[in-house]
Amino acid sequence: MRALRSEWLKLVSVRTTWALLGTMIVLEGLTAALVTGLSDLDDLRDRSVATLAIGTHLAIVFMFTLGALLSTNEYRHGTANSTFVVTPRRERVIAAKLAVGLAVGIVGALLYIAVNAGLGLSILSSRGIDVDSDTAVDTYLGVGTGLVLGCLFGVALGALLRNQIFTVVTGMVLFLLAGTAALFLGNDVGQYFPGESLLALNGTPGADKTLLTQTQGGLVLVGYCVVIGIAGMVLTREREIT
Amino acid sequence: MAAEITVGRLTKRYGETLAVDDLSFTVEAGRVTGFLGPNGSGKSTTLRALLGLIRPTSGTALVMGRPFHELRDPVRAVGAALDAHDVHPGRSGRGHLRTIAAAAGIPNTRVDEVLEMVELTPARDRRVKGYSMGMRQRLALGAALLGDPKILMLDEPANGLDPQGMRWLRDILVSLAADGRAVLISSHVLSEVEQTVDSVVVIGAGRLVMQGTLADLVKGDRRPILVRSPQAGELRALLEEHGASVAIDGRPDTMIVHRSTLETIGTLAAESGIPIFELTHERATLEDRFLELTGEKGNVR
Repeated sequence: MRALRSEWLKLVSVRTTWALLGTMIVLEGLTAALVTGLSDLDDLRDRSVATLAIGTHLAIVFMFTLGALLSTNEYRHGTANSTFVVTPRRERVIAAKLAVGLAVGIVGALLYIAVNAGLGLSILSSRGIDVDSDTAVDTYLGVGTGLVLGCLFGVALGALLRNQIFTVVTGMVLFLLAGTAALFLGNDVGQYFPGESLLALNGTPGADKTLLTQTQGGLVLVGYCVVIGIAGMVLTREREIT
Repeated sequence: MAAEITVGRLTKRYGETLAVDDLSFTVEAGRVTGFLGPNGSGKSTTLRALLGLIRPTSGTALVMGRPFHELRDPVRAVGAALDAHDVHPGRSGRGHLRTIAAAAGIPNTRVDEVLEMVELTPARDRRVKGYSMGMRQRLALGAALLGDPKILMLDEPANGLDPQGMRWLRDILVSLAADGRAVLISSHVLSEVEQTVDSVVVIGAGRLVMQGTLADLVKGDRRPILVRSPQAGELRALLEEHGASVAIDGRPDTMIVHRSTLETIGTLAAESGIPIFELTHERATLEDRFLELTGEKGNVR
C-alpha cells in the first residue's frame, strides 16, 4: 500500500500527467467533432459506429506514453536510487506502478468515452443519424479497454526497457503499425501484433481486415501486458541500479 | 562501540573493470567519517553496494550487521543521498519528499519538519528545476533525514555548496553525529570535509589506502620538513648522524630535511639545547598528503 501511495503521488505531482491527459481529450474532442460534423452524410450512415472509435490511435499514444513515463521517469531522472533504497522489494514498486497505470488508464478511458459520446454522438444525432445503443456500448467497451491496456503496456514495457525514448518509440511502432503488420508478416502472425489486436479490440466495422474477434484482441493485449509486466518485475529485481 | 557499517573484502567487477578491489573498512556511530578518494576510485560503487542497489562480486557490505535488503525498516536504519540530481525536475521539493515519505510510511508532517531543518521551507512549493545546486543538496539531505535514520550515507554532499552552505552542512552533520548517528560522507576533495570529519577512509583505485583519524592521515608523512634555527650547522650534523638528509635552503638558517619526522627533529634539538624558530612540513596541507596517498593509484581505470 505504501508503494501504491507513493506511485500515485509521483503520477499526480508532475504537470506532464495533466498535460498528456488534457491534450488527449482536446484532440479527441476536435477529431470527433470534425469527423461527425463535416463528413458527408452518406459516408457517416455507412460508418457511423466507426466514428465512436475515431482518434483511438491518437489517444493510445497518449495513454501508452503516460504509462511508459511512470516506469522510465525513475531512470530518466535518477529517482530509481531513492525508490529502491526505500522499497528494496523492487517487484512491489513495479506492481504498484502497474496498479497506478490501471487506475489512470481507466480515468483516461472514461474521459475519452465522455468526450466522444458527448460530442460525437450528439452531433451525429443532430444530423439525423442514430447509433444503435448496443453497438455503441460494445464499441466503447472495446475502445476503453484498449486505452487502459495501452497504458498498462507502457508501464510494463518501460519497466523492461528503462530508457524513456526507446520505450516510447517501441510503443509507437508496436501500436501504430496496425494494419501494416499483417501485411508484412502475413495474417497468421500479424494478427497478434499489438496494433492489430488493438484494432480488433476496438471492434469497429471499419476494422473488417482484422482476423481476431473483439474478445480475442483484448485477450492478446492482456497477454502482452502480463508477460511483459512479469518480465519487467523479475528484471527490475535482478538488475543492478547504477 | 559497534560498527554500524562493515565492508569486508568487498570486490565489485564490471566486465574488465575492477571498480572495488578487496576493500575492507568499518564506520562507527557517533562520528563523521570521511570516505575519500579521487573520482572513479570506487566510492559510489561501495555506497551502492551498501544500499543494496548493486550486488558485490565477492565480499560483504553490511549495514548494522546485515545486508541492506534484510533490514526490517531500511528508511529508519539508513538515510542515503547519492546524487543531488536524482529528482524529477517538474516536482516541487515538497512533492519530491512526499513521494519518498509515502513509500516509507512517513507522515507528511515529517516532510515539513525536514524541509525546515534543511532550510528549504520558503522554496518548498517551487519546482526543483529552479533550484540551485546548493538547494538540491539540501533537498537530498532532507530526503536522507526523513526516516530519522541511525546511519547517514551521503555521496559528495558538499559538491556545489558555497562557503556558507559548507559551514551549514558541517554544523548539521557534526550535530547529527553527536546525537549518536554514524555519518559517512564521501568526497574527492579533502579540504571540503577536513573540518567536518573525525575519521577517514581513504581509497584509491578501488583499494583501501588507509583508515584512521585525520591525525593518522598526516602521520607517516614523507614530505620534506622545513627547519629554521640560528644553529643550523650544528643541527644539520646532528640530524645527519640520525639518518636524515639535509639541504640548506637559500638562507643560512633554513634547512630542508628529508627522511625524518617533525617529532624526531624537535626532540633532537631540545635534547641538544638547539633553539628552533620554525619546524613544519614544507607545504603543510592535508591535500598534499591525500594526493600523495592516492595519486599513484588514483588514475581513472
